Amino acid sequence: MNKKKLWLSGPYLFWAVCFIIIPLCMVIYYGITDKTGAFTLENVLSVSTPEHMKALGLSLLLSLISTILCLIFAYPLASILAGMNKNQHSFIVLIFILPMWMNFLLRTLAWQTLLEKTGVINNILTFFHLPSLEIINTPYAIVLGMVYNFLPFMVLPIYNALCKIDKNVINAARDLGANGIQTFFRIILPLSLPGVISGISMVFIPALTTFVISNILGGGKILLIGNVIEQEFTQASNWHVGSGLSLVLMVFILISMVVSAILDKDGEGSL
Amino acid sequence: MKKFFSLQARRIYIALIMLFLYAPIITLIVLSFNSSRSRAKWGGFTLDWYKALFENESILQALYNTLAIALLSSVIATVIGTISCIAINSMKRKSRTVVMGITNIPMLNADIVTGISLMLLFLSLGLKFGFGTILLAHITFNIPYVILSVMPRMKQLNPSVYEAALDLGASPVNAWFKVVLPDLLPAIQSGFLMAFTMSLDDFIITHFTKGPGVDTLSTKIYTEVKKGIKPEMYALSTIIFITVLVLLLLVNKTPSPEKSPGRQKGLYQLTQKPGFRYASAGFLLLLTGSGIFLGMSRIKEPEVQQVIVYNWGEYLDPEVIEMFEAETGIQVIYDEYETNEIMFPKVAAGTSAYDVLCPSDYMIEKLIENDMLMEIDFDNIPNAVNIGQQYYEQSKGFDPKNKYSVPYCWGTVGILYNKTMVTEPVDSWSILWDEQYSNNILMQDSVRDAFMVALKLKGYSMNSMDEDELKEARDLLIEQRPVVQAYVVDQVRDKMIGGEAALGVIYSGEAIYTQRENPDLEYVIPQEGTNVWIDSWVIPKTAQNKENAEIFIDYMCRPDIALLNFEYITYSTPNDAARELIEDEDIRNSDIAFPDLSLYDHLETYDYLGEEGDSLYNDLWKEVKSQ
Repeated sequence: MNKKKLWLSGPYLFWAVCFIIIPLCMVIYYGITDKTGAFTLENVLSVSTPEHMKALGLSLLLSLISTILCLIFAYPLASILAGMNKNQHSFIVLIFILPMWMNFLLRTLAWQTLLEKTGVINNILTFFHLPSLEIINTPYAIVLGMVYNFLPFMVLPIYNALCKIDKNVINAARDLGANGIQTFFRIILPLSLPGVISGISMVFIPALTTFVISNILGGGKILLIGNVIEQEFTQASNWHVGSGLSLVLMVFILISMVVSAILDKDGEGSL
Repeated sequence: MKKFFSLQARRIYIALIMLFLYAPIITLIVLSFNSSRSRAKWGGFTLDWYKALFENESILQALYNTLAIALLSSVIATVIGTISCIAINSMKRKSRTVVMGITNIPMLNADIVTGISLMLLFLSLGLKFGFGTILLAHITFNIPYVILSVMPRMKQLNPSVYEAALDLGASPVNAWFKVVLPDLLPAIQSGFLMAFTMSLDDFIITHFTKGPGVDTLSTKIYTEVKKGIKPEMYALSTIIFITVLVLLLLVNKTPSPEKSPGRQKGLYQLTQKPGFRYASAGFLLLLTGSGIFLGMSRIKEPEVQQVIVYNWGEYLDPEVIEMFEAETGIQVIYDEYETNEIMFPKVAAGTSAYDVLCPSDYMIEKLIENDMLMEIDFDNIPNAVNIGQQYYEQSKGFDPKNKYSVPYCWGTVGILYNKTMVTEPVDSWSILWDEQYSNNILMQDSVRDAFMVALKLKGYSMNSMDEDELKEARDLLIEQRPVVQAYVVDQVRDKMIGGEAALGVIYSGEAIYTQRENPDLEYVIPQEGTNVWIDSWVIPKTAQNKENAEIFIDYMCRPDIALLNFEYITYSTPNDAARELIEDEDIRNSDIAFPDLSLYDHLETYDYLGEEGDSLYNDLWKEVKSQ
């Protein structure tokens, strides 16, 4: 493709500048000024207060755990799906997107109905005289909510990466004497890495910034950094601190972008 | 891969994951047949909600908006995204990385930041908030999904094919459409599908970029969370889900023509099937058809007269609006908010010229202090005399000369408890610290209400600005944390009805409703005193239709209308004439709905504490919450 095509990027670049870059600059402006409009770093530095540090630490921890769990669940699933009868793929893959057509808030509220003390799961457990499950309003429920909501974002990229692997490469490895485990670690895993990387960032970032899941399943007892930002904007009406904290979050997002850019040079991992 | 697990193990694994993914969805479907309005209680099988759904014009309108926005935004995003992929692909490595980095921003940024930053942008551009702004926002976050889906496919294309076409005499445009596009199509389709899905599911960004009277399903559901989701929503979700599922099954029945190995699978392969094409074409046709139908039915004669009302979620009988429109010929554009704090910046920023608001006491004081309210001409509101004099007296706390506000609802904050779980008499806030009820107590998740409880228990004013008193209150709240089951705002209702908790802090208006659903519940005003609040109608300075606003407020004060509203929302009405009309004697003389305030001590109404006070309270509350 030649240089002449560059003008085609015009509409998008215009759009990106208008609706991505400029709004971003506005957040930065709010983040580094105070109510009188004077320059200050206080908003950004407010992340170091014990409450904010705790919220940030907890958010990082929970989203890290959720990402790892998603990966553990998604990888075998994606490889099972990739190895299935071709005529069924499409159907099964769409099965993972289908839940998203039910509203996100409704689905998360439904988990509340399931997990509550007198909820569906506990009713079933009591019926069989099993000990009841008490994870609602704890970090466990939040992790569950995160894994539930973001699992498809991990499955799909890995699945796509696995599907792209040329079967001949695998056969060649086997012919050359590699056993199943060797083939997996030396051929399949490295080749599927772009999908894994893309899956990790697509789960980790939304998990890091969520506030709806922690609100609904955490019973408001667990304060994540997303909740802090949300409260600054909607309850405390302090947009400056809210923006300042968002800038801090953006640093983590940048880090994850850089990492995935380095690991996934060709940008092959995708939906 | 195959060798690692036996077929059986693989099947079980998939089944387990399916169970995990679909358990909540099954729950929602079951709830759509539940005759009880509460999420926590099974009241028997019914199809009523499906019937109610098709009679509920506001839900259908929201459905139409949702689908229209999802369809338009994903089509536009697909076109822009695909075109830019061509350009990005021919860029140098460096500029490509930069552009891809920018593309990632909306996907990776916290939704709330994207939403607010777009709101700031639209504000500074002076755009009218509504359908258009939502659409712009959705296109913005949809483009990345398209690019990220099309880009990898673009890279895999063999440029020689395109060049061969050129060599064979095709024009570049011709070659592109005949050779490149067919190869890209599956990726484009899957990008479109992803964009459509994301748009359908978005709530946060829509919330900040929407205008009055325009709701999508998500924003509608969010306002409904306040008073409990209407079961019609479950019914609608079930219908959507079943439709898509059936569509999928049909598509899956048709054989796939694609046999070439090494091709993309999954979404790509699906989109290759002719069945998919027919199904999606049919689906789109259906969508546009119903869109035109719904759109047509919505087009009213150009009415010059209108009034834009910004009220709490679920705080007015929708029938009253229809009656008002029919009687006065003034069109009502109705918008809802969840908290005073969310309402304030929207009004202050002037995203829309609201004509009537319904804030609470302290927020009215803040609005007056910021010179944002218009004086109401009481000559235009003859029905204002129906409001009891004591409520005007009480209003003087925030509106000293009764110039700006007309009371709409009032009430107290108290303890709701379950008689089967709490046998001792409840008369003090201190029971909320009782370890006997550990993990059975629901606290309010809002700064002022939580601090009110602690301050009152200590015998201080709930408007205290004394730092030592506030710190004592904070320590008390921290001490309470271990016995609290959850900090909630709106879900106290559902949780108490379902017997999830023994005690909860609740607004008196909710108590009547919860008792109706669960007779074991009892409401008390603790002896240490509490908050007596008033929500009143006010007219902001930015109002464009002041006369209509006054006609609207007058209408709300008419006894029969106030009665309808009272029966619908169950919050105490200050309208004495309406109270006389209540037929049920128990309710008319109910201590919950109409308590004799002279019997209680230490009652107070919230004051606006200024920005300093707000941030002091907020900081202390954060310390409680982050323990």
